[in-house]
Amino acid sequence: MKVAFKTLGCRLNQYETDALAAQFSGNGYEVSEQEEGADVVVVNTCTVTNQSNQKSRYVISHAGRINPGAKMVITGCMAESHAEQLQKKFPEATVINNKGKSGIFHSVDSLIKTGNADLSDKDFDLFSYQSFTEMFHTRSLIKIQDGCDNFCTFCIIPFVRGRAISRPVEQVLQNIREVVAKGAREIVLTGVNISRYESDGVKFSGLVDKILNLEGDFRVRISSIEPDRFDDHFFTLIGHPKLAPHLHLCLQSGSERILLQMRRMYTVKDFMEIVDRVRAVDPKFNFTTDVIVGFPGETEEEFEETMAVARKVGFGHMHIFKYSVRQNTRAQRMADHIPDKVKTERSKRMHALAEELTANYRAPFDNTEQRILVEKWSDGVASGYNDYFVPMQFTSVNKKRNRFEVVQARVKDFEEA
Amino acid sequence: MQKRRFNLHTILEKRVLTDSTFVLRLEHNGLEFTAGQHIQVGPPNGIHTREYSIYSAPTDDFIEILVREIEDGVVTPALKKLEAGDSVVVNDAVGYFTIDKEVAEGKQFLFVASGTGISPFHSFVKAFPSLNYTLVHGIRFAEEAYERHHYEPSRYVACTSRDEKGDFHGRVTDWLTQNPLNNDTLCYLCGNCDMIHDVYDILEKQGVSSKNIFTEVYF
Ligand SMILES: Cc1cc2nc3c(=O)[nH]c(=O)nc-3n(C[C@H](O)[C@H](O)[C@H](O)COP(=O)(O)OP(=O)(O)OC[C@H]3O[C@@H](n4cnc5c(N)ncnc54)[C@H](O)[C@@H]3O)c2cc1C
Ligand code: SF4
Repeated sequence: MKVAFKTLGCRLNQYETDALAAQFSGNGYEVSEQEEGADVVVVNTCTVTNQSNQKSRYVISHAGRINPGAKMVITGCMAESHAEQLQKKFPEATVINNKGKSGIFHSVDSLIKTGNADLSDKDFDLFSYQSFTEMFHTRSLIKIQDGCDNFCTFCIIPFVRGRAISRPVEQVLQNIREVVAKGAREIVLTGVNISRYESDGVKFSGLVDKILNLEGDFRVRISSIEPDRFDDHFFTLIGHPKLAPHLHLCLQSGSERILLQMRRMYTVKDFMEIVDRVRAVDPKFNFTTDVIVGFPGETEEEFEETMAVARKVGFGHMHIFKYSVRQNTRAQRMADHIPDKVKTERSKRMHALAEELTANYRAPFDNTEQRILVEKWSDGVASGYNDYFVPMQFTSVNKKRNRFEVVQARVKDFEEA
Repeated sequence: MQKRRFNLHTILEKRVLTDSTFVLRLEHNGLEFTAGQHIQVGPPNGIHTREYSIYSAPTDDFIEILVREIEDGVVTPALKKLEAGDSVVVNDAVGYFTIDKEVAEGKQFLFVASGTGISPFHSFVKAFPSLNYTLVHGIRFAEEAYERHHYEPSRYVACTSRDEKGDFHGRVTDWLTQNPLNNDTLCYLCGNCDMIHDVYDILEKQGVSSKNIFTEVYF
């Protein structure tokens, strides 16, 4: 029996797919990311933008076309927000919401064995995914939190992921001990809003501190994080040899007024203060980010303010989103929505800047000695990311993946200016 | 997943404060919250809800919200038509515009509100009776100084922009410029975005660190 997984959207979705795949694999199923020849296709959807909805629909249709005989399971945030529409459009599919996601193995197993998906309304634990090391990714994603209560005015996630909830400290530590014992070299902390982590009085920085003090040869990467809850304790961890010097710190806008309209819980000044405090310890520290261009009411000057902040920080990478309306969010009801033409034009300018900044950030790493976690080997070239999350490559006869190597390396696909 | 639940709450009482503004007192129904948090509320038969800061205190045995009708709005005209005995849908309280119990004692607080943005401050003052605060309320007319008897007169400043019957004639920004504060004051700003933006600037110029400024943007 072969189960194919198609995943859209964020790291948390990736984590959940990987964990499910590991569970199928551990129970004798063949798992793959290719739908060809699969008996079951699980599509883990995303709904964060209109584009994500379109992509999710496309992936489902495409998988159905390639493999018309396969049973289709649709889950994830779009299955939460658009369950009825999806069921109508794909009547043969089994649609499972986020709550039932961690129980998909049981549903599919019963679907295959009895012809009926067991969708009993059990309250599956959001953290009951099994621990695993390598599934589809070399990095070991660890879920520490789910849900969000921030309700940024543009965002649909709080509606589809539910209330903020943190995984108990000991469960997180145990999960990491297990994957490290199985050979994981990079731990990526994921969740919907991990800066709000709090369990038994332990806040995010306290948790990271405990993780860094676990034994083993691994590095910890903090995935996407909101800049709204950094305490002094956090800054004392910067420079720790096990903490990867990289943060994906979500800016969204460089305009104070737009940040207020977005109901974000930090100011541009707060953001810059974090950057400055961290770079005072490690000047090469990599900041990557998300920005939204064309939020309702965004003036040309406010857009320029975001460009200016991006230049000032020198982001190593930027995810740029053209603002897209999400149903029933406050931003949908705001005045002065920006015409698509203007959003596209701003997006182009931001992309051009992002490319320039990425190249600038990466240049000093080229041809230097770096510690690289090898993820791929092909034709005598090993590649992977260094501690700073710069993609690097070097010639090597050693085909082994998932190993650290300290070596003189080139930045991948680097073109000298 | 902990889904947000919508529950029906019966309206126990409606207090009309001005032509457009009223307080709905609702059954408590075990709703847990911290002063400063908000809930989503909507008419029972519609699909629309909106956020409302909770006006009452966690210790009250009812829930109150303070609502101003927006004439061409979707939810507020419908809420305005409801009377005691009708019900509304309400979901879980959320939000981080709150005061840590440990700091409530011994600290100086500045609350700046525009219009119905006074609602969370009403809850704070009820929840922490010995709070050392000054509440600066930006309104157009003195009649919009909603239930001002609730606050100690020396702590409440109605800044009226369209009449001179308040405690101060002008905007909250003018009052703040003329009354600089201690830079270790904890400042809470609630209401419309433009007011918050302008007040933020003034406070920072007066040396207040952004760590001590908390905002709740209504629109
Ligand atoms: C966290 C939070 C707490 C809130 N607490 C309260 C509260 O305690 N009391 C309260 O009355 N409102 C509060 N609001 C605003 C409330 O959620 C609604 O936006 C408001 O009641 C209008 O709803 P509506 O459906 O009638 O109008 P809509 O149909 O949603 O909006 C019509 C238009 O009016 C504008 N608008 C919204 N609110 C106001 C306002 N107060 N004054 C002028 N224009 C406005 C909107 O931007 C929109 O363009 C809060 C908002 C947030 C985000
Ligand atoms: S913090 Fe804001 S953007 Fe991030 S998930 Fe929560 S509501 Fe969405």
